[in-house]
Amino acid sequence: MLFQRWFGLNAVRERQCKKAPEGPLKSFLSVPFPEPQTPIKEVELLALDFETTGLNSKKDHILSVGCTPIHHGIICLADSLHTVVNHNIELERENVQIHQITDNEQAQGQSLERVIEQLLAQLAGKVMLVHFAHIERSFLQQACLQLYGVAPVFPIIDTLQIAKRRFDLSDTPYDPSRLRLANLRQEYGLPPHYEHNALNDAVASGELLLAQLSQLTQGRDTPLKKLLV
Amino acid sequence: MSSELTEIKTFIQATNPLDLLPEPILEKLIKQVQICYVRCDETLPPQGITDPSLYVIRKGTLSVIKNNQELIEKLAEGDICSVFCSQDAVSNTLVKADEDTLIYAISFSSLLEICVEHPHVGAFFTKPAAERLSDQVSKINEQEVVSSTLMNRSIGDFFSSPAVTIEETTSLQSAAMIMTERNFSSLLIIRDKALVGIVTDKDFRCRGLAKGLTLSAPVSDIMTADVQMIDVNASAYEALIKMNSRGIHHLPVSRKGQLAGMVTITDLMRQESLSSVNVSSMIAKAKDVTELSHISDLLPKLQVSMAKLGTSASSVGKTMSAIADAFTCKLIELAKAHLGDEPVPFVWVSAGSQARQEQMVSSDQDNALIIDDSLQEQHRPWFTQLAQFVCDGLAQCGYPYCPGDVMASNQKWRQTQAVWHKYFTQWIDKPDPKALMHCSIFFDMRSVYGKESLLEDVRQKMLKKTQGNTLFLAHLSANAIKLRPPLGFFRDFVLTDNGKHKNTLDLKHNGIAPVVDLARIYALSEGIEEVNTLKRLTQAMGTSSLTQGSGKSLFSAFEFLTMSKVKHQAKQLLEGEETDCFISPNALSKLDREHLKDAFKVIKEMQSVRQTTYG
Repeated sequence: MLFQRWFGLNAVRERQCKKAPEGPLKSFLSVPFPEPQTPIKEVELLALDFETTGLNSKKDHILSVGCTPIHHGIICLADSLHTVVNHNIELERENVQIHQITDNEQAQGQSLERVIEQLLAQLAGKVMLVHFAHIERSFLQQACLQLYGVAPVFPIIDTLQIAKRRFDLSDTPYDPSRLRLANLRQEYGLPPHYEHNALNDAVASGELLLAQLSQLTQGRDTPLKKLLV
Repeated sequence: MSSELTEIKTFIQATNPLDLLPEPILEKLIKQVQICYVRCDETLPPQGITDPSLYVIRKGTLSVIKNNQELIEKLAEGDICSVFCSQDAVSNTLVKADEDTLIYAISFSSLLEICVEHPHVGAFFTKPAAERLSDQVSKINEQEVVSSTLMNRSIGDFFSSPAVTIEETTSLQSAAMIMTERNFSSLLIIRDKALVGIVTDKDFRCRGLAKGLTLSAPVSDIMTADVQMIDVNASAYEALIKMNSRGIHHLPVSRKGQLAGMVTITDLMRQESLSSVNVSSMIAKAKDVTELSHISDLLPKLQVSMAKLGTSASSVGKTMSAIADAFTCKLIELAKAHLGDEPVPFVWVSAGSQARQEQMVSSDQDNALIIDDSLQEQHRPWFTQLAQFVCDGLAQCGYPYCPGDVMASNQKWRQTQAVWHKYFTQWIDKPDPKALMHCSIFFDMRSVYGKESLLEDVRQKMLKKTQGNTLFLAHLSANAIKLRPPLGFFRDFVLTDNGKHKNTLDLKHNGIAPVVDLARIYALSEGIEEVNTLKRLTQAMGTSSLTQGSGKSLFSAFEFLTMSKVKHQAKQLLEGEETDCFISPNALSKLDREHLKDAFKVIKEMQSVRQTTYG
């Protein structure tokens, strides 16, 4: 069933590619997603994190984007990207407090269009790796809709989902806060990380995936389809 | 927002030697990091990394294993694995994760590129342990020079004040009279209360008498104008530099720009060597054992001050041994004042660390008497009483009795030269464990008082027997390499040879003693008379027993280990504790641990050379 859904995802991509206007989105959609049975160690991933002004992609904004590719199971900081998005809006106090992004820094950031363009270029042919997929997927789709008139599909691995599947297998109830990135990292024996910075969070979820893979029976040979959301 | 990849940077910043890099270089380096996760029991390099790289352990542990079985080291958080820095040299080395391990990999070629202006960083990883260690030792020795006494004293502590001044119109004769009266070697010359020059003894000779000036000529004719002054808050070291650079021996001292006094080269020299010389002369002047024991109370302070001033361990050892010698000589003289002169010639010898001049405060006493063969039975009580008096006296002066009873007060070690010859012959011909133990004590002997030729004859004969005596040397070697240095450190533990963890490092038995033993073996096989470990190593270098390179490595290792001991004991003495050689790893800096590990490595290498030579 997964296979079919995956097959469908690549088919949707092709369909969307035809519809998309010339430009960054079309380029992104023209590169096929990795084959579902590919062992995870051979799949190119892009660990990604957004800092946003809220949870609603229709109303809220992406404040900053951090991402770093993972080749052959290795997180490569050389190709990492971290950028602030300039929406020319006044930031609310609590946002500044959480993300440490000041109005001044926002003003020095890049336009949403420019940021999404870079991100799509990085993402082409790769699988998106996030913690709690809802945010990145919905905000990225909303941004694409706004910029190019199409909300594309993305193959996504969600470290939260991988952990949740494992917790759900045991019958004992668990505290949902265990699924938070910082708490899961601790559970997997990873060091604490600096939270609420998009690049640090992206790297943190990348490390978490590597730790999670090591606990799966097939390890790095696990086929991609078993990990997709 | 400013905190991009903050914790990776903070973490890398705390590792040695990357901590030496300036911020912008470090930022560039962080960008090259590849994060890998190695599962328990998997080996390095991690899958997917092909470039020769450094591996910084972020979380977890690695074991480095040589030839399939021999554990070389264990690495934990913050340690750097440099095994895979170059493409070659890893054929027989295996690095394996002992638990799931998170690693930051940095390609070595990009590290070299980024750190091109900091060549020591790359060199740190590629240099062999021995070279790294000798770099560190020479760095410490340089520090010793600048941090010597002179550096730590300001002129204000000891200059003579006020300065004696005279008007420039004063005649040569009156000036000379003032200097003679006050016993000064120089005078400052003023005009209208302002300093205009200086005259010294030498000026009277060179510019006065030699030029045929009359006694009534004004002193301004022979003075040196353009006088350098030094501020009262400057250090003695600065004063020395100033004097040396201008070739002068007198410097006027100013306070807030006003003339305040004078400092001379003699004043500086007195500061430098004050303390240890003082103690020796106090010992020589003491009237009885009680006075001596009061003087011995100063020794811990003296050792601490030497350690704090950065005196090298070998100088500390020499000074403390010289003081032990002074106590011994004084005690023998006190005994003789009581017992009368010796009936036949003898020599009092020290053994062990005192003989090697490697003694520290509160070392046990090891001593013996070699008596001329003309000894008659009725002379024995004289020597018995002498030995008892001196050994008791030494004990009162803080040198504990030897637990193995290796003291002149033991009749076994208070014998005629003939008996000593026989002892050595027996030990060398029949090297059983007890004989080997006696060898390690009595092969290191030094005359302290009396007829030195008595010892020299014994030593000559002994060396003739040991030189080239492979069977004996094999026994001695096998015995010596029983004390194995540890592999290094693992988290806050000492990692021993068999992979076990210990809470403390025994600096003496796991580091210093093995080098002392090796040096003794080289000396005995090459017929070297010297007993001091560093001198033995120096003399053995280039012989068939020890190559130049290995000799230098062992030399550095010994210097570093003894230096660590001096530092450790200074800390204990300051806290009023008994001194020992047990160091807890968490009292050591990361850098010290690295260097100790290098020292252990050097020693182990030389031990295995011994093993293969005579195994």
